Amino acid sequence: MPITITAPKAVRPSYAAADNASDDSDSDASSDNGAADLEGDIPMASSRRKEDKSYSIVTPGEVITDDPQWMRGHGTFVSPSTSAIVSSVAGTITRTNKLLSVRPLRARYTPEVGDLVVGRIVEVQAKRWRVDVGASQLASLPLSAINLPGGILRKRTETDELQIRTFFAEGDLLVAEVQQLFSDGGAVLHTRSLKYGKLRNGVFVAVSGMGGGSGVVRSRRQVWTMEAANGAGPLDIVLGVNGFVWISKHVETPEALIAETKSATTGITNLEESVSTTMYSSQNDRIGVETMREISRIRGVVTALVENGLRVDEDMLVRGYHEAVEMAMLGEGPDDIYLGGERGEQLAAALTGV
Amino acid sequence: MPLDTSAYSLALLRVDGRRWNELRRIHAQIRTQAAADGSSYLEMGHTKVMCVVTGPSEPGPRRGTAGAGAAGASKAVAEVAVSVVVAGFSSVDRKKRGRNDKRNLELQSTIANALAASLHTHLFPHSVIQVSLHVLSQDGSLLAALINAATLACVDAGIPMTDYVVACTAGSTSTYAAGDESADPLLDLNHQEEQELPGLTVATLGESDRVAVLVCESRVQVGRLEGMLAVGVDGCKQVREILDRVVRDKGKRMVLEGTVAKGEGLEDMDLD
Amino acid sequence: MAPNQHVLLSPAELAYLHEALSLTPPIRPDGRAPTQFRPLVAETEILPGTNGSARICFADGTEAIVGVKAEVERTRGYHGDDEEEGGEEKREQEREGQDEWVELTVEIPGYREDDASTAFLAAMLSEALLADGGFAKKLWINRRFHWKLFLDIILISPPLSYPLPLLSLTTHLALLSTRLPRLKSEGDEDPFFDDDWAAAPYLYPQGTATTRPPITLLVMAVGRNIIFDPTKEELAVADVVLAVSVGEAATDASSTKGKGKAPGRSLRLLSVRTVDPPSRVTPPGVPNATNSAYGIAASAQKQPEARTVEAQAVEGVWRAPRGGAKPAVMAALVQKVLERGGVADEVLDALDAVELG
Repeated sequence: MPITITAPKAVRPSYAAADNASDDSDSDASSDNGAADLEGDIPMASSRRKEDKSYSIVTPGEVITDDPQWMRGHGTFVSPSTSAIVSSVAGTITRTNKLLSVRPLRARYTPEVGDLVVGRIVEVQAKRWRVDVGASQLASLPLSAINLPGGILRKRTETDELQIRTFFAEGDLLVAEVQQLFSDGGAVLHTRSLKYGKLRNGVFVAVSGMGGGSGVVRSRRQVWTMEAANGAGPLDIVLGVNGFVWISKHVETPEALIAETKSATTGITNLEESVSTTMYSSQNDRIGVETMREISRIRGVVTALVENGLRVDEDMLVRGYHEAVEMAMLGEGPDDIYLGGERGEQLAAALTGV
Repeated sequence: MPLDTSAYSLALLRVDGRRWNELRRIHAQIRTQAAADGSSYLEMGHTKVMCVVTGPSEPGPRRGTAGAGAAGASKAVAEVAVSVVVAGFSSVDRKKRGRNDKRNLELQSTIANALAASLHTHLFPHSVIQVSLHVLSQDGSLLAALINAATLACVDAGIPMTDYVVACTAGSTSTYAAGDESADPLLDLNHQEEQELPGLTVATLGESDRVAVLVCESRVQVGRLEGMLAVGVDGCKQVREILDRVVRDKGKRMVLEGTVAKGEGLEDMDLD
Repeated sequence: MAPNQHVLLSPAELAYLHEALSLTPPIRPDGRAPTQFRPLVAETEILPGTNGSARICFADGTEAIVGVKAEVERTRGYHGDDEEEGGEEKREQEREGQDEWVELTVEIPGYREDDASTAFLAAMLSEALLADGGFAKKLWINRRFHWKLFLDIILISPPLSYPLPLLSLTTHLALLSTRLPRLKSEGDEDPFFDDDWAAAPYLYPQGTATTRPPITLLVMAVGRNIIFDPTKEELAVADVVLAVSVGEAATDASSTKGKGKAPGRSLRLLSVRTVDPPSRVTPPGVPNATNSAYGIAASAQKQPEARTVEAQAVEGVWRAPRGGAKPAVMAALVQKVLERGGVADEVLDALDAVELG
């Protein structure tokens, strides 16, 4: 069936009728029972409040505590009149030692120093690039913060500034690390490591724009290589903390190349010269059909995880991928890669059940 | 007269069967649109509005006049940009409204100011928060419904704020001309009542008595104003409770489904 | 016409996508089959204050709402109210519609009403609706009055991808759910109607052999592959993109006599429009041979050679498509849409299956 049209999910009825007898005009007819209903409502209301406490969900304007020993973190503010700590977002309370903060149910990515992010160049300025990382402001990548081909010790010249687009042009994707933050919260990136740089040979997926909770979680490993099934080669996965994901055919890491060529060449600068030739290439290598198929499959797994509200990290993704391969085997064979809609729900159910 | 005075004083019931201090049925949902940062859908009686919030994000290229100048264009706080689209099919008679008509611009600017009063815009300098409102059906209390929907969508988008900005309308059973001394204030006016009776829209910051917006476009005797205002503020408190419940339930559902990790309470903590 | 949203992709991504879509069978980024649509959520009659309404949400979050309202309007150009002989039959024969009786407006957030792209969308949608000449006839009441139909189409989310198919499907559903009050007056007198909304007949009565409202589908081609319901990434690497409007012909009793019913509907092509694919404005990739960032040696190359290298297609390097589409490709695209039991058929069937109300 090439097209599936579903009815919208049923929504729970409005709360006005249940909570407050005076809200609903329908209950006016039974107004003689109004008094009794109100009485009956009170114990229900308090038990609901107790239930709320167990989830520790707070909403904007709600007082968390007025105990002066707590310090306030993100998502809270101090009410000027009562000097109590009040929540400013809807979310769950987290505490680290004496620091109270509220993690919102959903929010845009806010950069922190040390985050590994995937970004897209949107502007090229005189000596820097402006990168979209899905935060409230564009991040900056100064020309001085990238590796220039020819080695780390190569002097930056005016030619480099004039040819700035040969490194990164508008639309290019790169993986970088947040080096520092401006006072207004904007991020400054750098790619001064051989594992950062321009991305190619693969596909891009944005997780944050699809409504999945907190999206990609900060975990132990954000970048890894995994073996794919069905005759495809190894695949590189980059999970940017900002919710941008990159899946590609495995590119030999510069470190590996260095190790190979170590014996042949002399001197450190020569090593990096030979290694950095592919750093700013936008030409894809030859990619086989099986690899492309598996890349599409993993992309489908990421989308399915997000659409069904599951977190996206290495563990879930690897398990999800193996599950998807099995589902395809039971289905129509390795060509069956589609994981949207019902198939995605099936996948999510299999993962949460395990 | 929608409110046949003689009938009202007999049973104290309005045309739709409500008492003077009863809100209409409120139905609200958040996260109605997966792709947006924040979204909401709100019904107050038959007034139906949808809201989509994007941001805080980078402001687009500077359009229009260069009056602000390149240096002073970016401000130290986030800008709240509101756009209201009233659908042609929203009222009983189909009426196409231009985007730039005065009424629309006034609505947009009132809502933007109301939100800016509560949102912590100082946390997002050099960015813009875009609020898009769509009116699907109108039956009175339009400004109030728009403000409530915008607040819900901002809460859904995770934008920090001081408190919910909730709004409500209030009116009086007697017109200015009638000069009825014993007139009652009315809560939550529908379209018919709005046309015939004096009324105002009031928005407060959460459950406090701090008024963020007060719009009164009809003639009303000064003596009645305080009563209407008090009733309106009380109505706002009720609205806040309803909206808060919607947000909490959604949060609970997300925790239950595992999308969001459960929070830590304060009680089970070791006070040393 | 200009694409609605400029999609920003790197040359490496574009080259990869193009290659994946050129394979046989094409590998789409989300793994769908070439004729498979993304799942969508649809509901009708959500606005009780309208004559008909529908809402469709695509899986990527784009959403559209259409509301249909009808008002009685006096027909211009009818002079004299003399009672002619012939009565009812003559009146029925004179029944004809005029295109001005349908007014369609499109609202897209962030764009003005008089913006070129919005005006084009509105024109394409109303053109498809009025193309078969039969639609306006339904709005005829009598010789002096007719229904004026207002279709207001609102796109709720900012346009992430070309919104035409979404708006078209939503309009189709809204029209299917539209009801006009039942006429109680007779002849040419001032019309008055039955107050009972439950007695109001549908504009497109179900189960009878009348035409159905049209749908407009977006179809693209990459090499030899024909792909339906493209996402914005797929559009960015398309060679050809067409907007095809398809209607359903009224099944005549005479035509099916003695033939046996063939599967599928008899579809009529209403319009075909080319859409400028955003691929034309994408920046080209730079092959390694001319990339001055590609090692020291490359930068020493002479410049004149670079021009010839750019003209040739290098494997793995993206190049924006140049030139137009071959007529054979366009014919194949249209054929694929119209074939019996094909995509348009399935889409119309699925829309029919949506429960009204």
